[in-house]
Amino acid sequence: MAGDAQQAAALQEMERIIVRYPAERRYILAIMQDLQKKFNYLPKEGLQMTARHVNAPMSTVYSMATFYKAFSLVPKGRVNFKVCDGTACHIKGSQVLINEIYQCLGIKPGETTPDGEFSLETVNCLGACAIAPVLVANQKVYAKVTPAAVREIIKEHGGQINEPAVNE
Amino acid sequence: MKIKIDGIEVDVISGETILEAARRAGIHIPTLCYHEAFGGQGICRMCIVEVKEGNRTRLVASCTYPVNGEIEVKTSTPEIERIRRNIVMLLYRRAPNSEFMKKLYEEYGRPGDITPSDPEESCIMCRLCVRACEKVGANAISAVLRGTEKRVSTPYDEPSPDCIGCCACAQVCPTGTIRVSTMPGKYEIWNKAFEMDRCESCSRPFVPQVILEHVRSKLGPDFTEEHLCPDCRKKKTGKIIADSHLSK
Repeated sequence: MAGDAQQAAALQEMERIIVRYPAERRYILAIMQDLQKKFNYLPKEGLQMTARHVNAPMSTVYSMATFYKAFSLVPKGRVNFKVCDGTACHIKGSQVLINEIYQCLGIKPGETTPDGEFSLETVNCLGACAIAPVLVANQKVYAKVTPAAVREIIKEHGGQINEPAVNE
Repeated sequence: MKIKIDGIEVDVISGETILEAARRAGIHIPTLCYHEAFGGQGICRMCIVEVKEGNRTRLVASCTYPVNGEIEVKTSTPEIERIRRNIVMLLYRRAPNSEFMKKLYEEYGRPGDITPSDPEESCIMCRLCVRACEKVGANAISAVLRGTEKRVSTPYDEPSPDCIGCCACAQVCPTGTIRVSTMPGKYEIWNKAFEMDRCESCSRPFVPQVILEHVRSKLGPDFTEEHLCPDCRKKKTGKIIADSHLSK
């Protein structure tokens, strides 16, 4: 099965990342950063493997993984939206963008659509306050985003929009 | 070494915490996250005291502050009482649903007179359960998430393979948040069910196999293989003692 082969490959990749580090607790964070970088989220098997490798309880590793906002425990979508919710973007209406994305795709920050296409997260400041509110789709930055623009961005990335009643 | 706590001279061993020294001298300092078995955690801040070292005073958590020199300690000042009332207010706002918290809230004069955010919540996040689990050696639970969402749970909220069902977490919990649901011959904690083995003498269910295995792994050869419930064990020991006296 292709799925099984893929899973086996992923496990091998996790193993490769983890064994690069000495078996000490202080490397848990570094290992998780590498896992997150590779998989865009922290797979459960990866955390279990990390716990075994550094001889720490799974509860400790899980506690650390959930403490940091930079780590995600659910797979990110093919397209990951980062909506800046720093002070400037917040005042310029980032919440409206988040609402618009929820209207269109039904996901809240930290969630992924069931088809694995889109995910949404908020970030605290992208350092581009002059062009607030800012939205980043994968690596592409969108400036001065409006709710209408959000719809265009979703379409641009191949998303189907649940047309709500607010069609003007 | 001697220090002064509320004007009373107290002997301390260097490195001992202020709280330990005070307790030994019979001076009361309120605590929430402290337990003699675990030492100070410095989480709840209820044990805050004023420390005067030379001309300098500051507020410290007495449960984690080691005494290393000549200090004068005050366990209650208007400032300290204000901070404690504040802690009680915030905790009550978070987790009002326990007799423990209700009593504490009344004791501190209903500070703030606020509406709790979730009337059903009872966990005050003292994390005594986490420490108990750690001490037992299971390490099944930990604090997860962060900030206002922080809570105690097993990884992924799933039944943990590390949980041995010892219920030390439930026993140490001051607010009775951790539930153990008992059914005939078994019980459930942290969403995990534990089937109890029967006593070989009276055939009453008394302990799950995993606990016996855990104790065996901790005690090694000292662990006796007898499969007796506490009552039958007591009877047996009593009989051995009685017999040894009668035979003399």
